[in-house]
Amino acid sequence: MSKTYFDETHCAIGHPKSTFMQWMLTIDHKRIGIMYAAVMFTFFFVAVATAFLMRLELFAPGQQYIDGNTFNQAFTLHGVIMIFLFIVPGIPAIFGNIVMPLMIGAKDVSFPRLNWFTFWLYILGCIIAISSLWVGNGFADTGWTFYAPYSLTTGTNVIFTLVAAFVLGMASILTGLNFLVTIHRLRAPGMTFFKMPLFVWGIYATAWIQLLATPVVGITLILAIMEKYFGIGIFDPAKGGDPVLFEHLFWIYSHPAVYLMILPAFGIMSEIIPVFSRREIFGYRTIALSSASIAGIGYLVWGHHLYTSGMADIAKTVFSFLTFFVAIPTGIKFYDWIATMYKGKIVLATPMLWALGTIITFAIGGLTGVTIAMIGVDIHLQDTYYTVAHFHYAMLGGVVFLLFAGLHYWFPLVTGRMYNEPRAKIAFYLNFIGFNLLWFPMFIAGYLGMPRRYFDYLPEFQIYHQASFIGAVIFIAGLVYMFYVLIQGWVKGPKVGVNPWRATTLEWHLPSSPPPLENHSKVPYVDFDPYEYYHGEPVVKFDENMRRID
Amino acid sequence: MGIKTTVNYQEEKAVYFKVLAGLLLLTAITFIQPHLFMAQSTFMAQMLIAVIKAWLIVMYYMHLKGEKLIGAMVIFALLLVLVFFVIVIGIDVSHFQFKGESYITEPITTGVTQSATPTHH
Amino acid sequence: MAHAYVPEIAVDREGNEHIVQGWQDDFYGGKLGFWLFMLTEVMMFGGMFLALAYYNTLHPQEFLEASASLNRLLGGTNTVILLVSALTMGLGLLKMRAGDVKGAKLMIWATILLATIFLVIKGFEWSAEYHHGIFLMHGEMLPESTMAFGKKLFFGMYFTMTGLHGVHIIIGIGLMLWLLKRINANKVNPQHYILYFNIALYWDIVHLIWVFVFPYYYMMGAATGGTSGH
Repeated sequence: MSKTYFDETHCAIGHPKSTFMQWMLTIDHKRIGIMYAAVMFTFFFVAVATAFLMRLELFAPGQQYIDGNTFNQAFTLHGVIMIFLFIVPGIPAIFGNIVMPLMIGAKDVSFPRLNWFTFWLYILGCIIAISSLWVGNGFADTGWTFYAPYSLTTGTNVIFTLVAAFVLGMASILTGLNFLVTIHRLRAPGMTFFKMPLFVWGIYATAWIQLLATPVVGITLILAIMEKYFGIGIFDPAKGGDPVLFEHLFWIYSHPAVYLMILPAFGIMSEIIPVFSRREIFGYRTIALSSASIAGIGYLVWGHHLYTSGMADIAKTVFSFLTFFVAIPTGIKFYDWIATMYKGKIVLATPMLWALGTIITFAIGGLTGVTIAMIGVDIHLQDTYYTVAHFHYAMLGGVVFLLFAGLHYWFPLVTGRMYNEPRAKIAFYLNFIGFNLLWFPMFIAGYLGMPRRYFDYLPEFQIYHQASFIGAVIFIAGLVYMFYVLIQGWVKGPKVGVNPWRATTLEWHLPSSPPPLENHSKVPYVDFDPYEYYHGEPVVKFDENMRRID
Repeated sequence: MGIKTTVNYQEEKAVYFKVLAGLLLLTAITFIQPHLFMAQSTFMAQMLIAVIKAWLIVMYYMHLKGEKLIGAMVIFALLLVLVFFVIVIGIDVSHFQFKGESYITEPITTGVTQSATPTHH
Repeated sequence: MAHAYVPEIAVDREGNEHIVQGWQDDFYGGKLGFWLFMLTEVMMFGGMFLALAYYNTLHPQEFLEASASLNRLLGGTNTVILLVSALTMGLGLLKMRAGDVKGAKLMIWATILLATIFLVIKGFEWSAEYHHGIFLMHGEMLPESTMAFGKKLFFGMYFTMTGLHGVHIIIGIGLMLWLLKRINANKVNPQHYILYFNIALYWDIVHLIWVFVFPYYYMMGAATGGTSGH
């Protein structure tokens, strides 16, 4: 039995003997990815619990369990954890780390020590964010957007959260930088940009957003801190500042950030669809280039968050127009995926189920986004449950669902074992039904005028909140069951070979499962496309020295 | 990769000093510009000089000359900043619609300084 | 990676050999990475300039008046100092590449000296402004003062941006001291000078930021009249 990356590792400092220190100091991209996953899913469940607390409070009108102020802190905590700790770093940090170097045939990322440092920077950010639960006058109650001037005048501990967001932003920048250099420098010989797997394209487009958009929010948070401590007056109208500027600067980052979340998720989709359709992907170039153009156009649409803020009318018109444009490359991707499945030999394994579910949920999430990109409609729906439902359909039903799809897809790669397939499917159906029951009623409630972030409501909205509550219970049960199935699979699932899905990309051509420390035994020469199937069979085969033998 | 074993010391040194002379000259122009040219639009003239200086530094001190990939990346980032300026400054705030009633801008009536009563913003 | 790194070879179907780029000993990768880092600096200061231009558009006249009251003599001196320091840093790198390690170290010390002078002058400038009642949380900048909003915002941004630039200078000095340590340990030498190359790049971007900070704050109001200095 050859040694895997669980048995040996390279460390940032020295050669510690203890297994624990080896994990703490590891610079191996696969181990770092696993550690990210462990921390992130822990926080994910904390945020889910916070959300469930809010659902519980909203089960009936009036105050039951928590007061209004605690409710404000609860949705802020939920937003901060989900956005800054989980979903923004999520897919790049977990699968970008674990899978991307394997896909391009690299031994590691370009700067392995920086990768290690970045992970601990991320942990530092998490600690600062969470510690404000106990330090100072309680957790921030501003919502995760920290809108000025309230965030500058509230007595709660906003500063800690701002600093945490800045530190996490730094970690995000360094991850993006590392990946950009890796993709530019460490591709296997022969692998041109248009021979890269589409997940790598997603990571590449994402890395550009991480790199260039995150500094803008970093500086915004610094200005807010300067404002709070030194009174420079930049966002506080009492001192001459304009809160609209804060919203501009904040959304210059935070809107591209949603593309930062979705692009690698689309990448996972583009990996799963051809593999489980046993068919070459339809329109490889259009998918690759649509990732790049979503990243590009995504920089220009932030103003659709500011329709009701007092921005100039002409700017609103421009932003509305630009926002519609994002739907085009996204639509191209959807057509390509569906065309890939057409006449394919579809294998309904769990990853494929999650991907197919996402096609439904993200289509709803995306199309409802187009309706609120219209200025007139948005005036009515701004800050209602309609927007909340749209956001969660796009982010939870898009990004997180695909994250779960990737979790199942690359599970045998990371662990060398297989989860229980029928149980994983049950988990999917629980999640899918629970999810839709949880969020769909909110579209209706929001359309009828239920405002977001309120801890109380009029009696006529009760039916929607109760339906959501039942959905939430099913959804959480599904989540817990899914992780139970996965952990059970890791502990005592059957061992599988290196390529259980009969996939074609390089991460499935490793010498052992789980992979050895330095990945491929030999680096292959890549003169083939990433998804070559012929009559449902992979075309490209390698011998043990990674030479092609077909 | 990329490491030159031979360095043409004298030639590269001469380039450094030529660029220094250019930068010093431009800095001197900065100071006499308001009395010399474009006195009505000092801001534009100053920014123009700054752009020329920046171009010299980036090309020669930072060795961007001949770097195709990095050059394209730099241009992409600069274009992005430019777009932010065009949208936020050119399209939004230069069409600020509440000059008359806003608390954060000066009252339109002249002669009264700093008596802006807190109206709703 | 003390021992020499031997790159792997990949062989294609025709039997041709291709060198595989590893993450070890990748000069261009290091350079690319640092340039990408500098782009984040561009975006960060770009965001600050955006905020500055925003209020400049709302308060054009007050910005000109506030700019006219800054000390152009000290600001200009600092401009020249940074300019020369960029030269010493670049020449040091050139000497290092040509094998003159001692000369390179001398040039780094010269750069550190110039950077320190820059900070001292900056300190004099700020303390003069403090005595004129213009400083963060002090005098005219307090909420109850009647100084116009435009001027308050101008000076608020002035202290923030020159302050952040100063922080970059201090970080730069720290980096250069670390670089000297690495040179003494022979970790940076005429064959492996990527660290020196990147720190020189860093110093250039610090200079570059000042190239735009200086005219925006000090020179914009130069034509408005008003003598230089308080």
